[in-house]
Amino acid sequence: MTTDIILKANNLSKFFGNGTSEVRAVNKVSLKIKRGEMVLIMGPSGSGKTTLLSMLGALLSSTSGEVVIDGTSISSMNNNELAALRAKKIGFVFQAFNLLEALNVEENILFPAQLNVGGTNAAKKRLDELLDRLGLTSRRYALPNTLSGGEKQRVAIGRALINQPAIILADEPTGNLDSHKGQEVMMLLHDIARDDGCAVLMVTHDPRVEEIADRVLWLEDGAIHDRKTEKHSWVKDPVCGMRIDEWTATFITEYKNKRYVFCSQRCLDRFNTEAEKYVHKTE
Amino acid sequence: MIYWSLKTLFAEPMRLFISALAVSVSFLLVIFFSAVFEGESNQMVAYLKKMDADVWVMQKGVSNMHMASSMVWDWKVDKIARIAGVKDVSAILYLNGPVKIGGKDWFSYIMGISPEHKRTGPWDIAKGKAIPEPGEAVIPEVISKLAGIQIGEEIKMIDRKLRVVGLTRGTFSMASSVVFVSHKDLGELLEGRDQFSYIMVYAKPGVSAQTLVERIKDEIDKVNALSSEDFVESDWQLGVQMGAEILIMMTTIGTLLATLIVAFTAYSLVERKKQELAVAKALGFSNGQIYIAALCQSVVITGIGLLLTLLFAYTLLPWLPAIAPQINLAVRFHQFIPIAVIALPIAVVASFIAARTVVKLDPMTVFSG
Repeated sequence: MTTDIILKANNLSKFFGNGTSEVRAVNKVSLKIKRGEMVLIMGPSGSGKTTLLSMLGALLSSTSGEVVIDGTSISSMNNNELAALRAKKIGFVFQAFNLLEALNVEENILFPAQLNVGGTNAAKKRLDELLDRLGLTSRRYALPNTLSGGEKQRVAIGRALINQPAIILADEPTGNLDSHKGQEVMMLLHDIARDDGCAVLMVTHDPRVEEIADRVLWLEDGAIHDRKTEKHSWVKDPVCGMRIDEWTATFITEYKNKRYVFCSQRCLDRFNTEAEKYVHKTE
Repeated sequence: MIYWSLKTLFAEPMRLFISALAVSVSFLLVIFFSAVFEGESNQMVAYLKKMDADVWVMQKGVSNMHMASSMVWDWKVDKIARIAGVKDVSAILYLNGPVKIGGKDWFSYIMGISPEHKRTGPWDIAKGKAIPEPGEAVIPEVISKLAGIQIGEEIKMIDRKLRVVGLTRGTFSMASSVVFVSHKDLGELLEGRDQFSYIMVYAKPGVSAQTLVERIKDEIDKVNALSSEDFVESDWQLGVQMGAEILIMMTTIGTLLATLIVAFTAYSLVERKKQELAVAKALGFSNGQIYIAALCQSVVITGIGLLLTLLFAYTLLPWLPAIAPQINLAVRFHQFIPIAVIALPIAVVASFIAARTVVKLDPMTVFSG
C-alpha cells in the first residue's frame, strides 16, 4: 500500500522498569513523516531520541501505541516479519558506521541486497549508480580499515540505500566526523530525501543540520513537539566558525566568565586544549 | 550471510588455522588410540600368523593363546603327526607372564622352543642367535634398547636367570612381547618337561585345515583343534574385547574435546563479531540466517580440522615408531571414517552455543556509537 505518509506513530510510549523505578523514555509520542521529507529529532542527552528511533525502526517494541510504516502497522508483527520489513522498507545509518570489517566497500553496500528479490546480482546496477553518486567508485574494493571516516559513512549510506527503502533512519550520522565531512554527509542525506523521495529521519545533536531539515522535532523528557517555527538564537562556534542555535546547543562551556557554544564534542575538546587561541580568534 | 561468515573466517587465517589445528589434534588423538590399539592387537597375534600353521592344537577347553594356559602330553605330538593329511608338526611350551629385563617386568609371551621343532622360533633376527639353548633367552631388540640390555647380559624368568643370546625384530608389544627360551628351561619351571602347550600342524597339499581339525578331534582325546584362521580370530577378538572399552572411552574423549574446541571457536567468533551480527539483525537478517552463518563457520573449521587430520595422520603418524619404537602403530584409513562421520554432528552441536548468543543478540546495540 502506497501513501504519502510513510511513517506514522500514534501515542507511542516506552517505559523501562516498573513501580517507583519506572522510567518513561518515550511518552505518548505521535508523529507523521511524509515521503521526501527530512526530519530531525533533537533534544538533550537521555531524552529518549534513540529509544524513539529504535521503535520507529522496528528494532524495539513499544509499551503502548502504534507504529505504521508505509501503511502497515508493525504492532502485531513477529520477529521474522519485523526483520523482513526492516530489510525492505528501512535503511539505517549509524554514528559508528558499523561496516562489516571483512567485506570491501562493494560487498558492504551489497550486504542487505541478499534479502531483496533477485539478491545481490539484481542489485549490481544500483550498486554502480550508488558508488558513482557517493564518490566511491575508485574505492569499491577497499576494506573499511583503509577508509576515512567520511568514506565509511558514505558506504553506510550506500548500504542503507541499496534496497531502495521508503525511509532512512539515521542515528547521529555526523557524530564521528569533522565539520567538513559532516556537512558532506548531511548534504547527501538531504539530496536523497529531495531526489529519491525517501523520507529521512535523523537523530542528531548537530545544530547545523537544522538549516537543511524540513522539520525539527524536539524531544525532551519523552515528549515531542515541533520546533521549526520557534525562534533561534544563533551564535558562532569559536573553533570551527559554524552557526549554532544557542537554544538547542548541548556542547557548552564557560571560560573567563563568558559562555561559549560548540557544534560538537570535537570542537569543545579543541577549545579546552587551546582556549586562549580560540578566544582571541573570536574577539 | 554465508559469504560474510566465510570472509570473516578467512580474514584471520592464523586464528582459523589454530582453531582447525586444535580440532585436528583432538581427532588425531582418536586416530592415534585406534592405531595403537590396532597395532597392539596385530602384535598380539603376530606369532600365530608368522608360524603359518594350518591348524593349532591345544588342551581341551582352551581356544586362545593370550591370557591362556594349555598343556598337552608330548606323545600326542607324535600321534598327530601320524594322522592322514598331516605333513609336519611343531610344538611349543608357552607361558604368559612377566620377564624381568633390566630391572623391569615385561609382560611377555614366553615360548619354550627346541631345535627339533622347526618353525617355532623368531622370524626376524636382529643380532645373535635364533634358537636358545638351556640357560639362554632371545628377547625383542626394542626391549634390549629400552632396558639397556645387551647380548651376554642376564635376565630373569620367574626365579631362573637366563643369558641373552639373541635379539629379534617384530616381536615387541606393550602388552605381550615374545621372549624365546629353551623348552627345557620353561618345562622345568612349569614342571612339564614332557609336555607342550600348542602344537602347530601343517597340512599336506590338497588337504584343508578344516579336514585336519575334524580328524584331530576324532582321533586325539582331550584336545581342541582350530584352524589357524579361527585361532587368530579368536585371539584377535579377545584383544578387541579387552581394549574396546578403552577405545570407546578415548574416542568419546576425543570427540568431546573436538566438540568443545569447535564450540569455543564458534562462540568466540560470534562474541567477537557481536556488533556486526547486531548490524545484520538490524538490517533485516533473521535469527535463522545468522545461525546458519555461525553453523557455516563451525562446519568450515571442522572441515579444515578434518583435512589436517588426514594430512597428519597419514603422513606424520606412521613416522612415530621410528622415534618411539615401543609404539606399535597400525594407521589405517578405516580409522578415519568414524571421525569423518561424527564431524558434521560435532559442527552442528558446537554451533548451538553460538546460536544461543545469536538469539539473545539485541539489534539495539547498533546504536551504541
